[in-house]
Amino acid sequence: MPSAKEILRKFTELKTLPHVAIKVTQLVNDDRSTMHDFEEIIKLDPVLVTRLLRLVNSSYFGLTQKVGSISKAVVFTGMTQLRNLVAVESLRGMFKGDGVDFSAQKLWLHSATVAILSGMIAKRIFGKNGEDVFLAGIIHDIGLIVENQVAGEQLREACKAFREGQGTLIECERKAIGADHAEVGYLLAKDWGLPHEVLSSIKSHHLSRQVKDVSCTGSILQLAEFMAGKMKYWPIAGPLEPLPSELTAHVKEKVADYKIIIRDLPGEMAKAKELYESDE
Amino acid sequence: MTESTFDDIFDDLIDPNEERQNFLSIFEALLPEASTLLVSEAGVLLAGARPLALAPSERERLVRETGATDGFVAGEAENGAHCQAVYLANLPAVLIFSCAAVRKDDLRSGSTSASLLRNTIDLALARQEREMLVADHEQAVRQISILQQQHGKLIEDNYRQYQLNQDREKEYARKLESEIAMQTAELREANVRLEEISRLKSDFLANMSHELRTPMNAIIGFSELLSEAPLSEEHLDYARTISQAAASLLTLINDILDLAKIEAGKLELEHLPFDLTEVVGNVAAMFKIPAREKGVEVACRIDSRIPRRIMGDGNRLRQILINLTGNAMKFTEHGEIDILIDHEQEASGRIVSRFSVRDSGIGIPADRVEAIFEKFTQADGSTTRKYGGTGLGLAICLQLVELMGGNLAVTSEVGKGSTFYFVIPLEEAPAENLPLREQQEAGLGKTGCGGRILLVEDNVVNQRLASILVTRQGYEVEVASDGAEALEHLRHQTFALVLMDVQMPNMDGMEATRRIRAIEADPALRHDYVGLRARQQPLAIVGLTAHARKEDEAACFQAGMNGFLTKPIVKAKLAVILSEMMPS
Repeated sequence: MPSAKEILRKFTELKTLPHVAIKVTQLVNDDRSTMHDFEEIIKLDPVLVTRLLRLVNSSYFGLTQKVGSISKAVVFTGMTQLRNLVAVESLRGMFKGDGVDFSAQKLWLHSATVAILSGMIAKRIFGKNGEDVFLAGIIHDIGLIVENQVAGEQLREACKAFREGQGTLIECERKAIGADHAEVGYLLAKDWGLPHEVLSSIKSHHLSRQVKDVSCTGSILQLAEFMAGKMKYWPIAGPLEPLPSELTAHVKEKVADYKIIIRDLPGEMAKAKELYESDE
Repeated sequence: MTESTFDDIFDDLIDPNEERQNFLSIFEALLPEASTLLVSEAGVLLAGARPLALAPSERERLVRETGATDGFVAGEAENGAHCQAVYLANLPAVLIFSCAAVRKDDLRSGSTSASLLRNTIDLALARQEREMLVADHEQAVRQISILQQQHGKLIEDNYRQYQLNQDREKEYARKLESEIAMQTAELREANVRLEEISRLKSDFLANMSHELRTPMNAIIGFSELLSEAPLSEEHLDYARTISQAAASLLTLINDILDLAKIEAGKLELEHLPFDLTEVVGNVAAMFKIPAREKGVEVACRIDSRIPRRIMGDGNRLRQILINLTGNAMKFTEHGEIDILIDHEQEASGRIVSRFSVRDSGIGIPADRVEAIFEKFTQADGSTTRKYGGTGLGLAICLQLVELMGGNLAVTSEVGKGSTFYFVIPLEEAPAENLPLREQQEAGLGKTGCGGRILLVEDNVVNQRLASILVTRQGYEVEVASDGAEALEHLRHQTFALVLMDVQMPNMDGMEATRRIRAIEADPALRHDYVGLRARQQPLAIVGLTAHARKEDEAACFQAGMNGFLTKPIVKAKLAVILSEMMPS
């Protein structure tokens, strides 16, 4: 049975994360990087330039003057939002393909929903900057894409076993593949150089039954994952994992807040679609 | 994508009756004396703090009837009290309550009591909505505060960016500065090196000239002596050929030395009165014989407005004219060569004059005109083979004319001739005596009338040559081979004059001269020297050196010498200086 590392290694032999995504993340992490550095990287990818300019000129920013230069656009979006834009752009292409047991397309919809929900919960309920959580949402199931690429047959086997109730998805994956998507996704994000909290939330999004801090990225991700699953934004048919009790208690306490979030979700998703969706 | 509700999502953990229970308690708080019962759509019964007892049949009737109206439906509780039922769509549920203050018929639709009660129910419902609104508001506030934070961070980021850019700019500027400084230093160093190399080159040339002059001294001297000896016609011709070749070699050596001096910036022009007519006349006279042999006529004409006596460097002016005329002579087979000095204009006491040397020779092709002023270049390579010469002459002339404040130029036509000309300002000499050559030349004819001369010279060949020259002038000669030996001679013998070579091993001429002057100044020492003790006047010492530079002459006088002769020794000059210096 291959380890998570081997699976990732095999994957990177086939596909690599776009240079732009890694470079932009490095720049975000570096205090001494300048707008000019961002411009130098982003201008290499014309699709990204279009997307960035569209984002900054959208009603979301409500600017009175049209922004035409990359560096000026970065000034308005900020570096973390730019990083997310690049991540969405880079990952979107990998979520291709449909099937009964495993559908990458549905996984993309799931990931986007989790990302948007996570962002909303972080911002609206905990008053936290939602950008890291959003990124965690987009990337948290990337491990499944990796497994699909490297061991597609075994993944479908695991999904089938999961659907038939032979255990949690993680357990079924470990049995069929030898590793699970949380571990694989964690390693990939680590190579990418993403922030620590994003990494640990990816690693633990199926595992942590004991929640210490409901406001941490991992908890928000779990909650969003649960909600998205309930909304049927779930690529793998099978029993949903119940929410840890601390999160249940938290939702009970904030019923009105969550009602509002659920009420506003369709609007937020439409907005995100406008900002991030491709032209295809 | 279907839109999910909160209940769809959190159905497992949320009790939908909790909301209804919540409503009941709010309602009871608003209407304290009422007893209540809430029947959900699913038929679940919820009671408040004061439950209303109601027969199941009556309850079913009330639930049924409220479904058909949006008003109140009257009923009767188990204890016989009046009760009212109303359907609440928001929950959804049927509220049944009994309140003593409300009579049976009070709640007819449109009555005041009915409106009051309806308002009370709405208020209780609105309290729940208010909770949502508050949550909504709080979420909005949080989002605004995040936006504010992000805004703040953006501004911070941008400011940081600005500072980073400034730092980078400063760094670039610093780098640029240091690079420029470095390059400047390198250039400076290179310049110093080049200057040093140039100086070394000049020194080398000066030394070489000296080394060349010393054997030249012997060649010229002995070939001259040889020409005066009784020889067969053939041998005489050999001797003259040697003489001529040596003379032209000496000219070349002098040219090289001149050029080296000019390039080292060490050539200084004299500023002494001289006779311009004489200078030009001398030049023309020099070329008389070769001109006659070739059948070329040499003429000179000076504008009458140009004064005869001029301040400047007559020797250098002569050198220029000799060079130009020599060139003209070289390339002219027939016709004439004119040396012309024209008056151009007069400005602030200076007479701007145009010197031209015009010939009717072969001319210079237009594309070679520039090249002929270069060192070691003539109009073309074949010229050298045919006409000889090194091509140094014009280069020196060019530089000398520049030093005099003019520019040497040429107009030429192939086959018709060339005119070399330059325009320089001349300054009239104040009305004083010219250092007249005639005086010097007056001594030429006569020979010495005896007397002992000490010749101090290390080179054996030169010892012989100088001895012969001096003896021929009618003097006795004693030879010492260095300064120390010269002092030794002075200890025991008397001499009328010392001819002192400058460069010698052991003790050089400068040192020897300084010692002699020191001994003369000290009566105690003087007593030991026979050659010095009886003298009324300081001993005459004439320096002999191959270094023909002005500063060498100055150094000789500085050391205490009274005269100065350059080697190779020219017989005529030796005669003049001896006749001047030897006590009669």
